[in-house]
Amino acid sequence: MAAVTERSRLSDFMWPALAWIVALVFFFPIFWLVFTSFKTDADAVKPEHLFFFTPTLENYTNMTENYDYWRFATNSVITSTFATLFALAVGVPCAYAMAFNPSKHTKDILMWMLSTKMLPAAAVLYPMTFLTKNFLGIFDTHFLVILVLCLINLPIAIWMLFTYFKEIPKEIIEASKMDGVTTWGEIKDILIPLAWGGVASTALLTFIFCWNEAYWTVRLTTVDAATLSKLIEGNRAPEGLFFGRLAAVSTAAVGPIVVLGWFCQKQLVQGLTFGAVK
Amino acid sequence: MATGATKPFGLFRNMTAKIAAIPMILTALVVFAGGTIWTVVHSFTGSKLLPKLNWVGLDQYERLWNSNRWIVSIENLLIFGVFSLIFSLVIGFTLAALLDQKIRFENTFRTIILYPFAMSFIVTGLVWQWLLNPEFGIQSIVRDLGWTGFDFDPLYNQDIVIYGVLIAALWQGTGLIMVLMLAGMRGIDQDIWKASRVDGIPAWKTYLFIIIPMMRPVFITTLVIIASGIVKVFDLVVAQTSGGPGIASEVPAKYVYDSMFLRQNLGQGFAASTMMLLAVVIIIIPWAYLEFGGKKRD
Repeated sequence: MAAVTERSRLSDFMWPALAWIVALVFFFPIFWLVFTSFKTDADAVKPEHLFFFTPTLENYTNMTENYDYWRFATNSVITSTFATLFALAVGVPCAYAMAFNPSKHTKDILMWMLSTKMLPAAAVLYPMTFLTKNFLGIFDTHFLVILVLCLINLPIAIWMLFTYFKEIPKEIIEASKMDGVTTWGEIKDILIPLAWGGVASTALLTFIFCWNEAYWTVRLTTVDAATLSKLIEGNRAPEGLFFGRLAAVSTAAVGPIVVLGWFCQKQLVQGLTFGAVK
Repeated sequence: MATGATKPFGLFRNMTAKIAAIPMILTALVVFAGGTIWTVVHSFTGSKLLPKLNWVGLDQYERLWNSNRWIVSIENLLIFGVFSLIFSLVIGFTLAALLDQKIRFENTFRTIILYPFAMSFIVTGLVWQWLLNPEFGIQSIVRDLGWTGFDFDPLYNQDIVIYGVLIAALWQGTGLIMVLMLAGMRGIDQDIWKASRVDGIPAWKTYLFIIIPMMRPVFITTLVIIASGIVKVFDLVVAQTSGGPGIASEVPAKYVYDSMFLRQNLGQGFAASTMMLLAVVIIIIPWAYLEFGGKKRD
């Protein structure tokens, strides 16, 4: 008995302590990024100024005045929002079909969609650039960015929606069918309200993925549809130069998503654990 | 009306469902299949600046496998892939087990560890480029604390640069793995814990021999996520090391990208990307098929 209490007292103290040390280690890079963004470029590379420096907003004013932060931010908001909406518009019917009318090949289709996530994007970049620039003339447009963001996130969105929809009892859908509700009515009035938490989590996660996407957005835009990822990319300089400025740009680019994530913690975690809770 | 009823014509069964799935399947087919076929076809040509259909047979592949840069890229991807798989699973599981001890402020803790995941690859790459910079990063901080012999500059050492990339990738990805594993652990019946306690089985043994086997579905989900992260290492390398020092941290996707967009050697790029596609087809699809496809026949 004594051994048990001793052990639990030790673990009462040890596990939380260990957990917080880990949390600090994980948080340090973010803390460092934010700290650096308030330093001058000169201070940013001096170790003696790691914690002690004169904070300056210079990087941020410079960014909004000279680098047109708001235009990039607006583009990010527009493209991520519409890509998320389109992904849901296409994904919900698809997940609905797979969850409530499964056929022999449903699992195969789902798996095939997921496997596209593992294809190297580099393999399709050239055809995409070539096609959009020379034939379709939609290079560097919001439309293209939205389309691409929507497409690359569809597999995960459908997978998530599918796992949520699967949890809904089939009988509810069948009963509504007996009552003569149309397919559209089923999705709109029954499915979405029932799986609202899941749909919201899917939307949130898709939005975050879209916002952070850099591979395609950097390479398929130049000016007009350029997102925040492009702004960061454009501010990268050879080793050791303009670190304060780059840190400010990076902070301002990830800031909105980090704040959003904080407020939607529950949805975020729910969204990220899709399919795992059984 | 006909839901559930078996009709003689399979094609017309669940017609609405099939129609609903068409937009997704069509777009995916056009973009992925179209792009892929185009790439494979052009890998057999001598295209330089513009894609042309001047056939050169397997020349591009021969050149590819004779390129030192390509070999280094493959090695790096293998090292990165194997280690990121092992460490993601081990660290993710350990952290989840730690959080499973019902510590206070669990939500805050979980969110903090999950935060790096909300960062884009570019930002992750940049932050770790700075942190691993010997002049003002971790090395200089530790040296200032008094341990002057401390050496930690993976990004400037050809032999270990890929591990520097690995650290950044783990920092970014482990939180997600942890959250998934934690959800899996919470889904396990608490009675198992009671039973193992009654039998006097130590906690680590319960985790290793009872909990892990029960978490099989979670492990499969995490494997899919880790695998798609390994494929995306390109973004991180570009942001963090640009393939340097020298060619020490090159990865296959970067070889493809550089051939196509910097060296005006489209044919090489197509050949390299075809090899990558082939690798995916050979390794991942049969595995995934067995894993997901086999179950429904049980």
